[in-house]
Amino acid sequence: MLLRYWPESTNLKFMNLRMGGALLSVIMITASIFFLGTRGLNLGVDFAGGTVMELQQTETVTVETVRAALPFNAEVNTAVGTDARPIVVAKFGAADPAELGEEFAHLAPAAQAERAQQMTNDIVARTLKEKLGLTDEDFLRDDSVGPKVSGELFRSGILALVVALALMLAYIWFRFEWQFSVGAVAALAHDVIITLGVFSLLQLEFNLTTIAALLTIIGYSMNDTVVVFDRVREERRKYKKMPDRQVIDQSLNSTLSRTLLTSGTTLLALFAIFFLGGPVLRGMSFALIWGIFIGTYSSIFIASAIVLSLGMDLNKKPAEEVTGFQGIR
Amino acid sequence: MLQFPPWKICLILGIMLWGTLMALPNVVNMSGAPTGIPKQGVNLGLDLQGGVYLMMEINPDEVVANRLEVFAIDVRNALGNKDGKPLIGHLSTVEGRTLNVELTRPDADGNFPMDEALTRIRKLNGSVEGAIGGAKTYEIESAGPALIKVSVPSTSEETLMKDALGKTMTIVRRRVDPEGVSEISITPQGNNRIILEAPGEPDATRLKNLLSRDGKMTFNLVENSPSAIAAAEKGVVKPGYRLLSGPQTGQLLVRNIPEVTGADIATASQGYDDGNRPQINFRLNGNGASKFYQTTRNNSGKLFAIVLDDTIMSAPRINEPIPGGSVRITGDFTLEEAQDLAAIIEAGEMPAKVQFLDQRTVSATLGQDSIRAGVRASLIGLSLVAIFMILAYGLMGIFAVGSLAANIILIIGALSGLGATLTLPGIAGIILTIGMAVDANVLVFERIREEQRAGRSPLTAVQAGYERALSTILDANITTFIAAAILYLLGSGPVKGFAVTLAIGIVTSVFTAFVLTRWFTVMWLKGVKPKKFAL
Repeated sequence: MLLRYWPESTNLKFMNLRMGGALLSVIMITASIFFLGTRGLNLGVDFAGGTVMELQQTETVTVETVRAALPFNAEVNTAVGTDARPIVVAKFGAADPAELGEEFAHLAPAAQAERAQQMTNDIVARTLKEKLGLTDEDFLRDDSVGPKVSGELFRSGILALVVALALMLAYIWFRFEWQFSVGAVAALAHDVIITLGVFSLLQLEFNLTTIAALLTIIGYSMNDTVVVFDRVREERRKYKKMPDRQVIDQSLNSTLSRTLLTSGTTLLALFAIFFLGGPVLRGMSFALIWGIFIGTYSSIFIASAIVLSLGMDLNKKPAEEVTGFQGIR
Repeated sequence: MLQFPPWKICLILGIMLWGTLMALPNVVNMSGAPTGIPKQGVNLGLDLQGGVYLMMEINPDEVVANRLEVFAIDVRNALGNKDGKPLIGHLSTVEGRTLNVELTRPDADGNFPMDEALTRIRKLNGSVEGAIGGAKTYEIESAGPALIKVSVPSTSEETLMKDALGKTMTIVRRRVDPEGVSEISITPQGNNRIILEAPGEPDATRLKNLLSRDGKMTFNLVENSPSAIAAAEKGVVKPGYRLLSGPQTGQLLVRNIPEVTGADIATASQGYDDGNRPQINFRLNGNGASKFYQTTRNNSGKLFAIVLDDTIMSAPRINEPIPGGSVRITGDFTLEEAQDLAAIIEAGEMPAKVQFLDQRTVSATLGQDSIRAGVRASLIGLSLVAIFMILAYGLMGIFAVGSLAANIILIIGALSGLGATLTLPGIAGIILTIGMAVDANVLVFERIREEQRAGRSPLTAVQAGYERALSTILDANITTFIAAAILYLLGSGPVKGFAVTLAIGIVTSVFTAFVLTRWFTVMWLKGVKPKKFAL
């Protein structure tokens, strides 16, 4: 017979735990802000500028030989490549102007900022080819971002997050009541801050793909919150005499099996990427896995709890509002 | 909710057929298929295919300065002794974004011919192309008794930049792809940027070398009197000349004003000399050929230098007048160098030097590994989700898995059909969609379960389940769609690829979960007519 992974009906008193949840969230947010303030984010070349070169590790190409061959200071590490073989990763910024020689000194100051990284790359690539006998084919990846573009990418990344939050706020306001909108966006901000905190704590690389992951977390968390809110609104109208707390608890319980199932399947897919999708996707899938947990948590303990504290106004939006979508059938 | 009239069924089947046809070339080689059937699979991003991505910028300051340098030559001609008008002595210098024309010869009373000079220079000032109200290209004003300042106003700068960007793109294309056969894509971004994407396994260093040169080609006469050379070596360079060097020629004293310039060159190509070594051949146009003939006739016995970007490529001796305008550069070139130099010379001079802002190279091997890893992760993710759904919902789970498979086909079909680019994060987007696509199914199934528990018959439970879940499904997916749309608008490169697959995935998963699964369920309910609905 069918797998019963969850009892048919539960009656958990989530809202009794909301003060505990609030406390936990305050602690996590404080810690996140503390980490962001003290350790900062480990910005990748997308945002910090600089160059990353990846080489296949061989007998002659190791962390030690690459470090010894490089003419400038660079961060050289090993990592696991896509096909599980080890690779050597070198990360460096622009070299000191004094080391770039005559040609650089003659450049216009405006051109120097962008050229410095470029010239450093050329020197590094040439030195590695000479000293370690490499050819172009040995460079698995060679990404270099100048200071101008990295600044722009960072600003547009942050802008994307802010615009997304604002639009979600507007959408929920339009579909529900303002209390829901506040709850939903507080939950999203909570998710974003804590995820940034985790990236800071673990010093995981923060790059363009991480921004994509954050926006997806926002989308997912929103998805989860909306499902709960829809049910809260429905039950609120059905049981007019019932206190808010009970309505919310009941809604959370009736959507609980859906919440667990959906996060379960999404997690299954994400774990597949995390373990099998190769190193390029590992950071992104980690962020998403974390986001599923935090998003599910926040829709219960932040979004719903805030709606409960702010109270619901029954008479504002009639149930028939849904009719706008009926034509789609 | 439970009615499926024939037109609706046709529509569903039509959509599925379209998706399958579009997706097919990704799995099967369709080159033999009849016309009208798509043969092209999904475009792979550079991170999956391997290749080079370059973002270049041309500096507006430099474009303006170069333009003013050209204007300075016109000014020199206009202020010269021409059409019976007297010469106005002056000195032109370009400083940042202004051209300073300083009058140097006052008349007997110590006054400068300012009005006359202004009139002559203003005559050169044309209107901006396409501008409303006849805005002028230059702003020309007197700034003191003997100083005229020429600058470029912002309206005209815009046109100038557009022009420069267009020219640069053409030159970039002609340099990197002289035959016009490669798959290199060159696109503008904003008003001063160019993005070049070269798939496969191109040589990034070679590409950059090709593009980082100005491509300014000139033929200049060489001063070879021993005394002038000796003086120049001591630091006293003969006026009108300068010292340049080249790998084969060493230092030479070269006349500033060229005899023939890059604009006089009609074609350039790589060829071989008598010893079968690579050389560069080029052909001058009519004007260039006659100038070249004059020069060679009048300067027998002298050297002339072929100068590219202030480096002497070669400096042959003029033995006899050369008609016809065929010139060649021999030297110690590798085949590749000769080909690249020919492409640079033929493409012409860049309006301004390009600056590389963002450069990414992925090797083809890494790309293939990424595809393999992505496909493996997708298949395993898909099977895990399928097992989970069937365990949780039994027969309805099988329906859901059926529409999940249809969903994947539709996503791949839509990606191929829309000509979207699949990137590695895009594959992650598909896998994420696999996980999230079941959400709509789950929402409905949970609702049906509840309705059944409330004592409804299978048919009415299904009806109510779908009706009630609809607004939730739409709300939930519209919010995610907003996130995807913002990612697309503000993201770049691989992130854009992720946004596209996520957005397509949202649309297709709502369709498959809400329409396809419902159709399966209704067909089954009407065919089997179960008393109790195991869910």
